[in-house]
Amino acid sequence: MNDMTLTERAVQASDIKIEARGVQVHYGASHALRDVDVDILGKTVTAFIGPSGCGKSTFLRCLNRMNDTIDICRVGGKILLDGEDIYDRKVDPVQLRAKVGMVFQKPNPFPKSIFDNVAYGPKIHGLTRSRSELEGIVEDSLRKAALWNEVKDRLDAPGTGLSGGQQQRLCIARAIATSPEVLLMDEPCSALDPIATAQVEELIDELRANFSVVIVTHSMQQAARVSQRTAFFHLGSLVEYGETGQIFTNPSDPRTESYITGRIG
Amino acid sequence: MTAQAAPTHRSLYRLDTRTKRRNAAEKRFRLYGLAAVGFGVLALVVLLSSVLAQGVGAFRQTFVVMDVMLDEGVLDKSGTRDPEVMKKVTTIGYGKLLQTSLNAELAEKGFAVEGMSAKDVGALISKEAPAQLRDRVLADPDLVGQTIRFKAYANGRIDGYFKGRVSLQSAELDSNVTPEQLRLADTLRAAGIMELSFNPGFIFGPDASELRPEAAGLGVAILGSAYMMLIVLALALPLGVATSIYLEEFAPRNKWTDLIEVNIANLAAVPSIVFGILGLAVFINFAGLPQSSPLVGGLVLTLMTLPTIIIATRAALKAVPPSIKDAALGIGASKMQTVFHHVLPLAMPGILTGTIIGLAQALGETAPLLLIGMVAFVREYPAAPPEGFGDPAAALPVQVYNFTQRADPAFIERASGAIIVLMVFLLAMNLLAIILRRRFERRW
Amino acid sequence: MTPGLLALLVLAIAAAGFVIGRKRALSAASGDSRSLHSLPGYYGQSVALFAAVPALVFLAGWLVLQPLLIDMRVGATITPADIPQGSSQSLVMSDVRRIADGLDVLAARGAPDTASLDPATLRSRLAEAGIALGNDVKPAIFDAATDYRARAAKGRLAMTVAVIALSAAGFAYAFSRITPAFRARNVVERFIKALLIGASSVAILTTLGIVLSLVFETTHFFRLYPAREFFLSLTWNPQFRGGSDLGIWPLLWGTLYVSFIALLVAVPVGIFAAIYLAEYAGRKTRATAKPLLEILAGIPTIVYGLFALITVGPMLRDYLAQPLGLGSSSSSVMTAGLVMGIMLIPFVSSLSDDIINAVPQAMRDGSYGLGATQSETVRQVILPAALPGIVGAVLLAASRAIGETMIVVMGAGAAAKMDLNPFEAMTTVTVKIVSQLTGDTEFASPETLVAFALGLTLFVFTLGLNILALYIVRKYREQYE
Repeated sequence: MNDMTLTERAVQASDIKIEARGVQVHYGASHALRDVDVDILGKTVTAFIGPSGCGKSTFLRCLNRMNDTIDICRVGGKILLDGEDIYDRKVDPVQLRAKVGMVFQKPNPFPKSIFDNVAYGPKIHGLTRSRSELEGIVEDSLRKAALWNEVKDRLDAPGTGLSGGQQQRLCIARAIATSPEVLLMDEPCSALDPIATAQVEELIDELRANFSVVIVTHSMQQAARVSQRTAFFHLGSLVEYGETGQIFTNPSDPRTESYITGRIG
Repeated sequence: MTAQAAPTHRSLYRLDTRTKRRNAAEKRFRLYGLAAVGFGVLALVVLLSSVLAQGVGAFRQTFVVMDVMLDEGVLDKSGTRDPEVMKKVTTIGYGKLLQTSLNAELAEKGFAVEGMSAKDVGALISKEAPAQLRDRVLADPDLVGQTIRFKAYANGRIDGYFKGRVSLQSAELDSNVTPEQLRLADTLRAAGIMELSFNPGFIFGPDASELRPEAAGLGVAILGSAYMMLIVLALALPLGVATSIYLEEFAPRNKWTDLIEVNIANLAAVPSIVFGILGLAVFINFAGLPQSSPLVGGLVLTLMTLPTIIIATRAALKAVPPSIKDAALGIGASKMQTVFHHVLPLAMPGILTGTIIGLAQALGETAPLLLIGMVAFVREYPAAPPEGFGDPAAALPVQVYNFTQRADPAFIERASGAIIVLMVFLLAMNLLAIILRRRFERRW
Repeated sequence: MTPGLLALLVLAIAAAGFVIGRKRALSAASGDSRSLHSLPGYYGQSVALFAAVPALVFLAGWLVLQPLLIDMRVGATITPADIPQGSSQSLVMSDVRRIADGLDVLAARGAPDTASLDPATLRSRLAEAGIALGNDVKPAIFDAATDYRARAAKGRLAMTVAVIALSAAGFAYAFSRITPAFRARNVVERFIKALLIGASSVAILTTLGIVLSLVFETTHFFRLYPAREFFLSLTWNPQFRGGSDLGIWPLLWGTLYVSFIALLVAVPVGIFAAIYLAEYAGRKTRATAKPLLEILAGIPTIVYGLFALITVGPMLRDYLAQPLGLGSSSSSVMTAGLVMGIMLIPFVSSLSDDIINAVPQAMRDGSYGLGATQSETVRQVILPAALPGIVGAVLLAASRAIGETMIVVMGAGAAAKMDLNPFEAMTTVTVKIVSQLTGDTEFASPETLVAFALGLTLFVFTLGLNILALYIVRKYREQYE
């Protein structure tokens, strides 16, 4: 454990987890993201907000190289994780993604049992040496995802049989089972009802103790509720980035203000 | 490295051993996939090239070209030039004539044929040649008395010698040919009396007996297949389109419709040989239709092709956007008018493509035709339709099978050649289907 | 009149009906088509349809029924004494028909009076006309043949008259209904709808025909040969002179063995090819390799049969079987299985390809997001998700393999035995169906009829597999819809 003390909304520049400089993304001929500079801090929840198509999800997917799976996507600029360029030729995206986990917009549990869903990551990365160790990780992850009490009696049931909110928490458990350092969440609540959303938001706040969380969201209230830092994207550029309180109460850019007050949708 | 809670920092730049192993597994897996695709493509290439390599020879044949004096004293003693009378001279008479002519040709050019009788020399010519000469003379009796240039098939073994099937060594053991004959054949070829040239008889001629591979042709089989395709087209297209229109546009959702749907799905998967049994039991034994006729073959193939056409037609009908139907119905067209005036014409390219593909399948189908008697040896061309539909005929794929059942290895070449012809037809049909699709494909 | 000519005549009547009906409708409306209920063409069509369809249906029915009826009548005149030893009523009847045909040929060649021909010399006369008979013609048979001809001629005349009359009656009926108020379009459309329904029942009739003919002849077979023996005996040894062993097991064994080897080739190759094309291949590779593999499905089976016979068989024999001392036959289970496996690759691969593509992208993303490699994703997420569909594809391929005929006829051999050595020639159900039905044995013997029992077994087998496969595939599709 890092023995640095954490105070709310006061983080030093020294624990920058991810440092992005001049990131450019092209999809075929279209320039989806231009010149994005962002520092993501450790043990903090960072929210990306902005209107649809502003590039916030694209940028999120750059952080663990999920864009590699799209043929026509090209990424330029530098993204450093703990000071190492993740787009370096020596870096294997597989290893990177073990450190930077991801939770998707729509819950996507595998058509396997609840246990196997969570155990999938530790298994492929070889994180455990025995069955009991694996069971420990699964239980731990499910507990952290606040799902354990609901599913502990039916770990063999298919993950697809859970409710939407449970499925999303299962996906979060699955992602944290590999003990990533950063957790990326792409609109994790957009497919959920308000109660499930509240549960997931609560969970995100708890996750902050162990991980650096980056969340893309459409809902400004959500960003205000869960994040410490917020980045506002517009038309493929980063407009403003700072402490959440400051962005929402006193934005420096007029575009941010228009968006927050509902004039850009 | 168990460490859920021990983030001992690992650099991204260094691959750990596990990742290396996983990447190796990844590479292997990818390689298996590539190998599988490669295997499939390689199999295709080997399949096609082996047939092609064996079959191209069938289109070229060894001929003996010589002058034949059509002696009136032998062919038409009566001098009346009446074909009925001249028919009395059998092929034996013509055979002798050819034998003498070839010997004379040799003597004239000064080739020594020591150790060989005139008969041995005459045996270089196919046994089919006298019949061909006879047919030619009977068709045109005025030729008698003249000297004509005649291009006779060489014996199958001689042909095999030039194509590498027969060698001087194998001839020692062969009762049908002697090494001397082969050497003479070499001389004749050098002198231009024998030549290898394109053989239209292979494509247009009728089949020949087991002992005369050199004369076997595909004419009857091609004609039989063509007749069957006509029948399939004439029956399967309207039936298939009518069924599809009914199911797609009119059928109410009920048990009967379900039953039809299930039946069509199952018919598409019934083994082809079962259709042959159906043809034998129903069309031949029950309805008394003639055996080995294109009519029965066409009916059986129609039933087999129907599901293909129905599936394609329904897909084409489904692809017509409902807005077009609504537009027609909206201005007061009846449902029937809407379908026949608007939906059907728009779906036509898709229907035709499906039909051509169905026909191509039917053209290559063999097993059911064996059961309805199309394996029979047929030399006579069927008459012109519609009477000809009831005449015995062969079919192209069945002819291939027939060739392979014969002992003389020369028939393997014929079978492969027949396959080339079949594949050319199939290729042409598929190309037509592709062109139709490209030309008329519409996206709404 | 020949049926073809008669059909043309009916069509001509119908065409005339169209023109006349149309004209009549126009004249009934005194040239003003607006006062007609329907477009004038519909009046024409109604006449044409009524003139043509009933008459043509009647003609087809008559053509099927007439030979049956005449057979029955003439057959009744043949006494048991006329049936030679070792023959049967049906064989004698086929002789009768052949003689009758021969007499037709002779009559066409201008023989003066066929009825006065001497039965004793008839055989040679017929032989000249190209009709070979097994033995000399007995007077009773000859009489039956002349009777047959007479009845056939009478029947044909009656048919001609009846068909033309029916066509004319239809014409007259439809024609008489034409008035400006007559709802011609509705009548025509109802008529056409009935035709559409009729066309779509052809599928049901076909299945019915298959099932009935198989079941009928199979029960016939089981009356001559005990069903117990057929299903339980382990030997297949048909004899020309009766006393055959017709146990299905050696054939089933061969069928399953060949199919097993074929699937052993086709399933891994097909699935790996599908995975590669769906997950790894670039657009260009996919655009070339996929159609190339699909060509394999379009090649007629006779081509595969020839490939097995001239290339694969000798190659396996010379380079594998003989050096290993496993056999010296070029036709073998291995030859047929390997070639059939190649044929089945596209069946497995294109269906699997569709199924793999149907697995939602979210599954892949989920797995990649956790740091899985592509192969781990395929093996542990995509394949399990696609498994039911792939099982369906494999079952469909298995049903193809079991029903495949030409490859085994030309590649597997004809020896019915139950051996484990894949380089031995063995035989299959389909091979025996072909050989029993194309042989020279008499149709009513168990040796021939067994083919129907084999066909029924095959039909039930493949139908079961198909239904199971379609059920699984459909279930799978529902899962993602």
